[in-house]
Amino acid sequence: MKPIRFSRDTLQFPQKDFDMVKEGVVSLGILTVLIVAAAAIWGAPFRPAVTNQQVALQNPIGIGQEVLGDLDGQGGIASYGPPYNNGWHGQAQSVQSFLGFSPQTWWGTPYQVNTAQADVLTPLQMLATASHDSALTAALHTYKTASYTQQQAWTSAMTNALGKATVRNGQVLLPPGHYGPVALMVNDEINLAKSGLLSGALDRETNGGVYRWNVQNDLLFLQGQVLPNIANNINMAGGQWGINHDEQAYPGPWWLTPYTFLYQIPPWSTGATGDQTAAYAMGLLFVLLILVPWIPGLNKLPKLLPVHRAIWRDWYRHLEKTNACGQCPLLASCTKEFRGHTSDQQQSTETVPSCYQPDATFAYNMNDGLRSPSMRPLRTSTD
Amino acid sequence: MNWTQSMRQRVSEKLTWDHLLPSEQPVYVSSLVYSFGVFTLSSLVICIASGIIMSAYGPTWYQDSAAGSLLRGVHFWSVQAFFFFMTMHLVGQFFMGSWREGRALTWVIGAVSFGISVIEAFTGYLSRGDFFSQWNQVQSKDAFNGAGIDGFLNILNNGQVYGLHIAVLPIILIGLVGWHLIAVRSKGVVPPYQARVLTKEGRHS
Repeated sequence: MKPIRFSRDTLQFPQKDFDMVKEGVVSLGILTVLIVAAAAIWGAPFRPAVTNQQVALQNPIGIGQEVLGDLDGQGGIASYGPPYNNGWHGQAQSVQSFLGFSPQTWWGTPYQVNTAQADVLTPLQMLATASHDSALTAALHTYKTASYTQQQAWTSAMTNALGKATVRNGQVLLPPGHYGPVALMVNDEINLAKSGLLSGALDRETNGGVYRWNVQNDLLFLQGQVLPNIANNINMAGGQWGINHDEQAYPGPWWLTPYTFLYQIPPWSTGATGDQTAAYAMGLLFVLLILVPWIPGLNKLPKLLPVHRAIWRDWYRHLEKTNACGQCPLLASCTKEFRGHTSDQQQSTETVPSCYQPDATFAYNMNDGLRSPSMRPLRTSTD
Repeated sequence: MNWTQSMRQRVSEKLTWDHLLPSEQPVYVSSLVYSFGVFTLSSLVICIASGIIMSAYGPTWYQDSAAGSLLRGVHFWSVQAFFFFMTMHLVGQFFMGSWREGRALTWVIGAVSFGISVIEAFTGYLSRGDFFSQWNQVQSKDAFNGAGIDGFLNILNNGQVYGLHIAVLPIILIGLVGWHLIAVRSKGVVPPYQARVLTKEGRHS
């Protein structure tokens, strides 16, 4: 014969009046007033997005450096690896692999970003076509038909030169050097950015039509130095708890604190696979949270901690005053949290725990509309 | 076996009106902790209502107009309230051991709802269309890559991110929250841990 398994039925405990609908409506009303008031008083954080045009007008050398990084493969995305490309000439720099486990590579390269082509050569070709610019057309032809060694020599010289360049009346002035067609190309792309048309050219590449859903190339163009510099100035870089805080004094997504915290300490803050291991560390913690009911020790922790005694203090005060549990015929099962089985096959289905009984003293203590529960037999089931 | 009959019988046994819309509750339900659940739900209703209005008018409206900015504020603060009360609810339920006596699934659904809410909120931050979105899009692509997700979810594709935020994830979240509520109602509020028992010597054990 299978043992009887007990289950306490919440409907059989002493009951008091409760209006769930009213509670919901009142709660919704109060929170609506508070939230609308907060929105009216404090508004919401909003810092307008940074555009290529703004950056080109304020920091044309910065745009030039992004262009060169995309052109010579020194930029972060140029050599990133999956899912954007296979790196620069097969050398991928940003593939995270932990003990040979690298899910980043599983998808291949669905987004296909060749930065030299996408960020520089294609936009400049569009500019040359639109403006009938024969000098730019010739420069592009010269660059494309040159050997890779020659291209690298030009871009390398240009990179060094930009480090010493000055800006006068918005124009980038370079020291004399052998930059080949690259000086004109970089200068024209800076001008394209100043005009505001560069974003359109970059967005066009990742959408293939009229609609502009995918801003991938536009964002990637600025992600090398420009965006990190701005973020750093307003304490939003990863090492500054990044996403965890928002503009000014507004609360940010503080619920990401455990995740952001990992980026502040080794090995996540220093390791090459920091993103990957942080993601899986959080995944593991989340699985632990889900599995709390089955994790030995953790699932008993709240019973050991006294917090539940504060939450149910009125209830415990009543039970201890009347010593209801001491007289309870189901005391043994109760100590097992009603999860255990009883071998007492004589257990009557009409036996009820003492805590089901209404009590005048308790009604007085709770100061609430106490109702007698309908004394239905204790629910039992076999398993 | 008649599936319809079986389902009807199961539902009518598990979900009586006493469970679904109770007008009474056990006397041990007597703490502020019990309010965090309904506050979480109320915040979610405001999140959804403000979100529906914002998506109806579109991103440029909530970015540029005065009325749109106000709604963006309502959406922002309702999300803050939602996470605050949800966290309090989760912590409170932990200390009450609320997975006991057949309620483990309720806990699991709630925890998964929390996880989905985090992703939902993140796609919302990316849909704000300001520097915060811009910066966190390029930042998080590395995190999503590391996790092996970016190949499917192009975090720089606003169409995909916005669609996830206003349709896919809310539908999943609303489904989970609805399931969570039904699970809570069908099982009832978890009974307290056993009280201390008075020994023969008159001491509590």
